[in-house]
Amino acid sequence: MTTTFENLNPGDSIDGPQFAVSRESIRLFCDASLDYNPLHLDDDYMKGSFGKTNFGGIIMHGMNNFGLISRMLTDWAYPRGAIHRRLETRWVKPVRPGDTIQPTGIVKSKQVTKSSRWVLIDVMVRNQTGEKVATGEAMLEFPNE
Amino acid sequence: MAKVSPEGAEAFETDFWKDANLRKAWDDIVPGEPRKTLAYTLTKEAIELYCKSVGEDHPIYFDEAYAKTTRYGGLIAPPSIHILLMFSCTPADDWMRSPGTVNAGQSWSYNLPARPGDVIRLEARALDKFIKRERLFVVHDNVFFNQRNEVICSGRGWTIRPV
Repeated sequence: MTTTFENLNPGDSIDGPQFAVSRESIRLFCDASLDYNPLHLDDDYMKGSFGKTNFGGIIMHGMNNFGLISRMLTDWAYPRGAIHRRLETRWVKPVRPGDTIQPTGIVKSKQVTKSSRWVLIDVMVRNQTGEKVATGEAMLEFPNE
Repeated sequence: MAKVSPEGAEAFETDFWKDANLRKAWDDIVPGEPRKTLAYTLTKEAIELYCKSVGEDHPIYFDEAYAKTTRYGGLIAPPSIHILLMFSCTPADDWMRSPGTVNAGQSWSYNLPARPGDVIRLEARALDKFIKRERLFVVHDNVFFNQRNEVICSGRGWTIRPV
């Protein structure tokens, strides 16, 4: 059945792409985003502490999670005539080389306003052991035809 | 570490330790004070590289003939292209590059897609700074515009500053 605004329901789920994290994928994200923070490059630097935090080794960019969630949302939205309008995320756990992560979404609610129609979606990213590494909320618009 | 030179852009310094002493620390950041920004021409190649890094494969980012048939009327960049724009529209002494800057979360609203060839500018500032559980936070606030002064997207991020 084709998904439309009308037949979407709270609890409906969206599965995003699995993503294998490696030193190479992190380095590629450095080149693509121009974010060369040593958090993502320098193992020696990452042996130190960051105020109250010690990561123990390089970590993936938090915004790589963001990009994967956004990819899931747009790939879901385009064929349904919807538009990705907002994404808010928080990073819960660091992601490291060797992890495999996957974003998912669950429809939370729908709302109709004066000139359009909106869907709120809870999003999260889990790693290969099922731990949440990122959580957030998205808003998609289903414009009136 | 070498500099990289995206097409149409000046060489980008990839060594974030260089000029680190020029960047504002938490104590020096004044909420409300504008950050220095740079205009940046977004290229098809930069979009394609970003897409590759997160596995974006939708034809609306690559296939001009397909993209013309959509509501967008041509190629667009993924909404999350602001991840690249944040660094391409700021100079080397911007405090977002301080080594050890930890991203705690971000929220973004999308108005119009960015497109290849757009000349993009950024209005940005620190919006707030605070201490929580002994960590030094700064909230940054950003709006990207295209060459027609239309808002592409706006967003805010929570960063933990290096001590």
